[in-house]
Amino acid sequence: MPVEIDRRPLWLLLLVKGTRLLLLLSLALLFWFIVAIDPPQGLSPAGKNAIAIFIVCLSLWITNLIPLAVTSILAIIMVPLFGVLTEKETYSLFGNEAVFFILGAFILAGAVMRSGLGSRVATMIMKRFGGSSTGLARSIFLLAAVLSFFISEHAVAAMLFPMVLEIAKALKLRPGKSNYGKLLFISLAWGCIIGGVATFLGGARVPLAVGILRETSDKSIDFLDYSLAVLPVVVIMLTVGYFVLARLFPVDIEGIEEAQEVLLKKLQGMGKVSYNEYAVGIIMGLTFLAWFFLGRALGLALIALASVVTLFVFKLVRWRDIEEYVNWGIILMYGGAIILGSALDKSGAARWMADMTIQNWAETPLMVVALFSLATLILTEGMSNAAVIAVLMPVGIGMSGSFGMDPVIVTLAIAIPAGLAFALPMSTPANAIAVSSNYVNVKDMARAGIIMSITSWIVFNLVARFYWPIIGLKF
Amino acid sequence: MKDILLILPTSKTSNEAVDFAIRKAKEIGGALTVLYILDTAMADEVFDKFTDIGFIGDKPSSQLTEAIMKEYRQRGYELLGAVQIKAMEAGVPFNPITLHGDFTECAMKVINDIKPVMAVTVRERLSGLSRYFSTSSINELQDSAPCEVVFFDED
Repeated sequence: MPVEIDRRPLWLLLLVKGTRLLLLLSLALLFWFIVAIDPPQGLSPAGKNAIAIFIVCLSLWITNLIPLAVTSILAIIMVPLFGVLTEKETYSLFGNEAVFFILGAFILAGAVMRSGLGSRVATMIMKRFGGSSTGLARSIFLLAAVLSFFISEHAVAAMLFPMVLEIAKALKLRPGKSNYGKLLFISLAWGCIIGGVATFLGGARVPLAVGILRETSDKSIDFLDYSLAVLPVVVIMLTVGYFVLARLFPVDIEGIEEAQEVLLKKLQGMGKVSYNEYAVGIIMGLTFLAWFFLGRALGLALIALASVVTLFVFKLVRWRDIEEYVNWGIILMYGGAIILGSALDKSGAARWMADMTIQNWAETPLMVVALFSLATLILTEGMSNAAVIAVLMPVGIGMSGSFGMDPVIVTLAIAIPAGLAFALPMSTPANAIAVSSNYVNVKDMARAGIIMSITSWIVFNLVARFYWPIIGLKF
Repeated sequence: MKDILLILPTSKTSNEAVDFAIRKAKEIGGALTVLYILDTAMADEVFDKFTDIGFIGDKPSSQLTEAIMKEYRQRGYELLGAVQIKAMEAGVPFNPITLHGDFTECAMKVINDIKPVMAVTVRERLSGLSRYFSTSSINELQDSAPCEVVFFDED
């Protein structure tokens, strides 16, 4: 009889059960130790304290021992408490344009979801282009990518997942066994991931990176310039992603009539396009154009907030809807991340860390880009991509100063790869949801994701080396 | 009546475990009680990911977890149906139960209620090293259950 008795040593059992408490305690001790010692040469006491806070936040962001936004609150408390910045300076950083742009963009995304416009567009496109098994998988992949150009990739994943689940159910795909099931769910996740890096709107990480760039230097990146810089990466990764998926998960079903029926029923159930859908679509379109062409003159946050007000003027959303569709923790998370970045920069800690670490390994600006993009790609697999930005941006800006590089280059070398987490469910909600369906297991995702991660690093560096100089980003 | 309890977790199945439980129930002339546990942990984790990392609001996150739970529930019904057919073919009385919640808590609740002769369940396939460092709910069940607990690796 296969009865198993737990014969592991007591210390190991205690360790397994009490890991969380032990980690928190170790972190507190480490923090206390760093604060207590004398600062090394070239680092001010405030800089040393900033590094101690940085280590605590980094560890908490990686381990998720407390929610991300709460870690940011901790940074907000510790920065003035340990004399890195004054209270006034700390709280004033919440007034950063990036925080308000992110807030506006999330409210707009909430309005798109609330109106039903997103679901209608998605269903119509899948119905129109998903006539065959490969066509349906391709349309889910590209649809997820294109929608993530306009609204947060997480919102897109949340919106499309129930539809893909219904399709898989209608096609009677076997969870964990069907290749086509794996293909559909990984297409959804990868579409969101690749599309999410294409503009400022795919996630809050790019605005956050730009916010930190603005706070720590006199430079910035506008909506159009960013999209232009990242365009080849998106196009190449979508192409590579499509071929990798087709190769690793060859279609193992024949007809998809049942899926077409599901989509047709869904469309019929939606009825005619409503006034709300038309109006939200028009406002979203105009906002997008304004970000592209007037972003530099008016400011991205101003445009986003003006669009939010317009939604309310035309009674397209109620405040209650917004409360349901936006998680207000976002303000604390991104505000706190900007405070931490600014604390590291202003105390001189960022420059000191850059001198002590990457500066020893990198000899040329090209190597700086290669190393930062590699570090970002590795870190983003294990922690939230916004946290990766908060952690690497201050060091990156410090590093660009040492090499006389334009800090915009390093910002892009961190902000773009930070979104490209393909391999693990813990790295991004889109991956987590694909695995939660049980159609995809962690092994399938990791096997395919590693190929994509390596490819994305190579593609990113080739684009940076050969394409960026053409559009004026020289290094 | 003597019962054999077959405990089926949400995302793991084993034909071997099902066949073994039916065979055992037939041998002792008892009934087969099948407990399908709708593990809310996975759906909760997705909810947390979308709200804590994705920062999307409660409503879409809840809709998402509802979609996942609906899918798990449907799979549970299908699984229970398939086991029922096998049990009927073997002439074994069949009693299905579905519960939401933590694996060990749900399993213990039913074990204490029906006091089965034996509990049969399915465990995740893991490498030896991962198994050594992870806490297994099967171990917890074996420690707390008053009956014998037999497990099979998932298919």
